[in-house]
Amino acid sequence: MKITDYSIENELMYSGHNACPGCGGALTVRYLTRALGPNMALAITASCWSIIAGAPPLTALKCPILHCPFPSAGAVGSGLRRGLNAKGHYDTTVVVLAGDGGTFDIGLQALSGAAQRNEDYIFICYDNEAYMNTGMQTSSATPFGARTSTRPYPLFKHGQKKDIMRIMAAHGIPYAATASLAFPQDMENKLKKAQGIKGFRFMHVLSPCPPGWGTDSSETIHLSRLAVFTNFYPLYEIINGEQWQMTYYPEKTRTPLKEYLEAQRRFRQVDEMTIEALQEEVDRDWEGLLKRVNSSGETK
Amino acid sequence: MSGKTNEALLNYLYARGSEASSLNKTGGWRLAAPEKIKRLSPCRHDCLLHSEVPDWMEAVKGGRWEDAWQIMSRSNPFPALTGHVCFSPCTENCNRGRLDQELEIPAVERAIGEWRFDHYQPRRGPRAVKDPVAVVGSGPAGLSCAFYLSDHGYKVTVFEKSSISGGMLALGIPEYRLPREVLNKELAILEEEGITFITNRTLGEDLMLRELNNDFREVFLATGAWLPRQEKLAGAEHKSVYHALDFLSLFNTRQHVEIKDPVVVIGGGNAAVDSARSALRMNGINHVSLIYRRSRAEMPANPGEVEMAEQEGVELVFNANPAEVVTETASGSISAVLFNHSKTNREGLVLDTSRTFKKECGSVILALGQEPDYSVFDPLEEEMSLFAGGDLVSGPATVPEAIRAGRLAAFSIMAKIESRPGPDVFGISEQPVAFEELNLLGRSDLELQDRQKEPVLEAGRCLGCGTCNTCGICYLFCPDVAVEWINNNYEFNLDYCKGCGICVTECPARALQMEGGY
Repeated sequence: MKITDYSIENELMYSGHNACPGCGGALTVRYLTRALGPNMALAITASCWSIIAGAPPLTALKCPILHCPFPSAGAVGSGLRRGLNAKGHYDTTVVVLAGDGGTFDIGLQALSGAAQRNEDYIFICYDNEAYMNTGMQTSSATPFGARTSTRPYPLFKHGQKKDIMRIMAAHGIPYAATASLAFPQDMENKLKKAQGIKGFRFMHVLSPCPPGWGTDSSETIHLSRLAVFTNFYPLYEIINGEQWQMTYYPEKTRTPLKEYLEAQRRFRQVDEMTIEALQEEVDRDWEGLLKRVNSSGETK
Repeated sequence: MSGKTNEALLNYLYARGSEASSLNKTGGWRLAAPEKIKRLSPCRHDCLLHSEVPDWMEAVKGGRWEDAWQIMSRSNPFPALTGHVCFSPCTENCNRGRLDQELEIPAVERAIGEWRFDHYQPRRGPRAVKDPVAVVGSGPAGLSCAFYLSDHGYKVTVFEKSSISGGMLALGIPEYRLPREVLNKELAILEEEGITFITNRTLGEDLMLRELNNDFREVFLATGAWLPRQEKLAGAEHKSVYHALDFLSLFNTRQHVEIKDPVVVIGGGNAAVDSARSALRMNGINHVSLIYRRSRAEMPANPGEVEMAEQEGVELVFNANPAEVVTETASGSISAVLFNHSKTNREGLVLDTSRTFKKECGSVILALGQEPDYSVFDPLEEEMSLFAGGDLVSGPATVPEAIRAGRLAAFSIMAKIESRPGPDVFGISEQPVAFEELNLLGRSDLELQDRQKEPVLEAGRCLGCGTCNTCGICYLFCPDVAVEWINNNYEFNLDYCKGCGICVTECPARALQMEGGY
C-alpha cells in the first residue's frame, strides 16, 4: 500500500463524525472501511461508535450500518449474514464492530456462540480498555494499574486484562489477529487476508482513547506504536486457532514498559515496584507468545 | 445551505442515516489548528547559495521540472554549472546519510540545469526596456548579476577581457571538471535572453570607468582575482615557470604550452590541484608532483579533489618550501627545484634551512595564490557609483560564492535604480533540522536504498527535513479525514479539523506546527 494511492473521494468515512479529537476508534474504522469496502455492511453494538456514527439523519460511513443492543453483537452479525445470503448478496462483507465491553464482557456469550458456529463474518473489536462511552468504567479489558471512574485515583484496577486472543484461538476459528493503528500497512494486510477467508474472523485493534487514558490527543499514534514496541501489545495472527504467526518483531525498537505507562495519566498512581512487576509480566507473556509461535512451526 | 438542511430534515422524517455527517462542521470544536511551516534543512544550511534544496527535490520527485527550475533559479540561475563544479557541502550533513546514503544533490541539480537547456524558450514580446547596466567580467559573478538584471527587464552588457566569455569558468576550471558545452549552452541562453557580450575589452586600457559610468546607469565590477601572488623565489622569472592561472588559461583554451616532463606544481590550493591534474592529462607528461609547504590537513584545496589527484597518480609532497629554481647553464632549461623542509607551529611557517632536497624537473607551475587587481581604481579621479562583487571583493573563492555575490549585486543595483530598500541577505540564525528530530517511524513506505541513477528516483529519497515532501503521513493518520490532496499538496480542511494534533506529532519532516499552541 502506498499512502498516496488513496484519494479523499475513495474514503468510505465522512468528515464531521462525532468522535473526540484524536480518537483511535475513528481511525480504526477509517482503515477498516478503506480495506474492506465499499461492498460491506456494518453492525455496530453499543459503544463509542454508536455515537460517532452520527445522530440521525446523519451517518459517518458510506456503507449500511445496523445498530444493535449491547450483548447481541455476535448474534446480529450472524443474522445479518444469513439475511444477506437469503437475498443473494453473498459477496457483501459483513463486519461487526464492538468495543471492548461488547467483546470482553457483555458481548462475550454471543461472540462465543457465533465463533463456535463459525459464522461467516468479520468481528472487529476496537479496544480502548474501558467503557469509555459511558464514562470510563472498568471493563475486563482494562489493564492492571489503570485508574478508571469505578476505581478512581488513588485506587486502580487489580487483576489482569482478559486474554481475548487466546479465548478466540480456543474456539478454533479460521483467522484471528491483532492490529495497531501505528502500523496501517500491517493492519490493511490482515484485513485483506481476513476478507479472503470464509468463516468467523476476529480482529483485535488497540485504540487509544485520549480522554480515557489521560493523554494528549496528538499522542494516539505514538501510544499505539509504544504499545507494540514495549511488547505490551504484540502484533500477530492465529490461523485455525493453532498456527501462531508474528507479524512484527520489535527487536531494534524494543522499549521498556515504563515509557508506555508514564505517557498516560491513568497509570500515574503506579509505583516503581508495580512497574517492575508489570514489566516482568509483559516479558513472561511475550515469552509465552514466542513459545506458541515457535511450537506452531513458524520460524523467525 | 438552507435547502440542504431541509433535505436532511425530510430524510430524518422518512429514512434513517441517509445524510453525510459532513453537514456537521466539527471544525468549531478546535482550539488550535495545524499549519505548515518551513524549517531549515541541513543541505540548505550548508549550501553556499542557501538553495531551497528540499523544495526543488520535491518538485523533481513529482516530475514538475518547470517548478523545480523556478525554485532553483531563485537562488541559483546556473544549476548545470554548479552541479559540475561545486564541491557540494550540501551532501555532507544530509540526514539521509544516517539511514543509508547521503542524497546525491549535485546530480539532481545538474538534471534540472539540463532540463532547462532542453526546454528553454525565449520570451516573446519586447524586452529590455529598463535602464542599461554594465557588467565588467563574465565570470560566475558577472553572469549571475547579468541573469537577474536581465530577468527583471534591464538591458545588460557584459564586458570581458579575454577572447571568450566565462571568466574563471572558461579559463580557470579544467574541462574534466566542467564540460565546455555546458558553459556554452548557458552562455547561449543568456545571449538569447538579450544580454550583450563584448569580449577583448580590458578595464583600464580600452574600457574606462568614466566612460562606463557615463554610458550606463550602473556598473558592476566582477573582474575576479587573477594577479599571481608575488613570492620571492630565485629563478622564478624563467620562461618555463608558469603561474597556475596562466597555465590553466592556455591549457583550457587548447593553446600550446611549452612544458616538459617531469612537472613540479608548487602550492596547495584548488588552482594547484587543477594544474597538477591538467598537466597530467597533457601529451608527454608522465610524472607530476604537487608540493606543498604545510601538511595535508592544512591544504586549502578541496579534500575530494586532492584524493582524485592522488588516485590519478599525482605525487604529493608535503612540508617542503621552495628555495630556488635551478637552471642548467648549458641549455638554459630548468633542471630542478631546491626545497627546504618546513613545518607549521604556533608562530607560523618555520623553515629548516639545514635540510634541503632537490626535485628533478622539466617545468615548474607556481600556484602560490592569486589576488584581485586593484590598479584600475588607483587613482580614482572622481566620485562615481560602482558596484563590485565576486573574487574582486572576497579574494579567491568558489563559483557558488561568486554566483551569490552576483545575485546580491543585481538586487542591490535594482534597489538603487528603483529607489527601494536593499535586498535581504538570507541569514542563517536558525539551527537546521537534526536527524533525531525527524519522526521516521510512520514512514512505512520508506525503503533503505543506495543512490539512484535516475534523478526522479534520487529526489524521491529526499526526507524533506523541515519542508513538506508530501509523504502523506498527515493524510494517513487523520481520524477526521480532514486532510485533502489539492494541487499536489496536502491541505487541511479546517471545516472538520478538530485540532487533535496527530499530524503535527507524526509529521516525519517536522514541517507542521500547531497554530496557537495547545
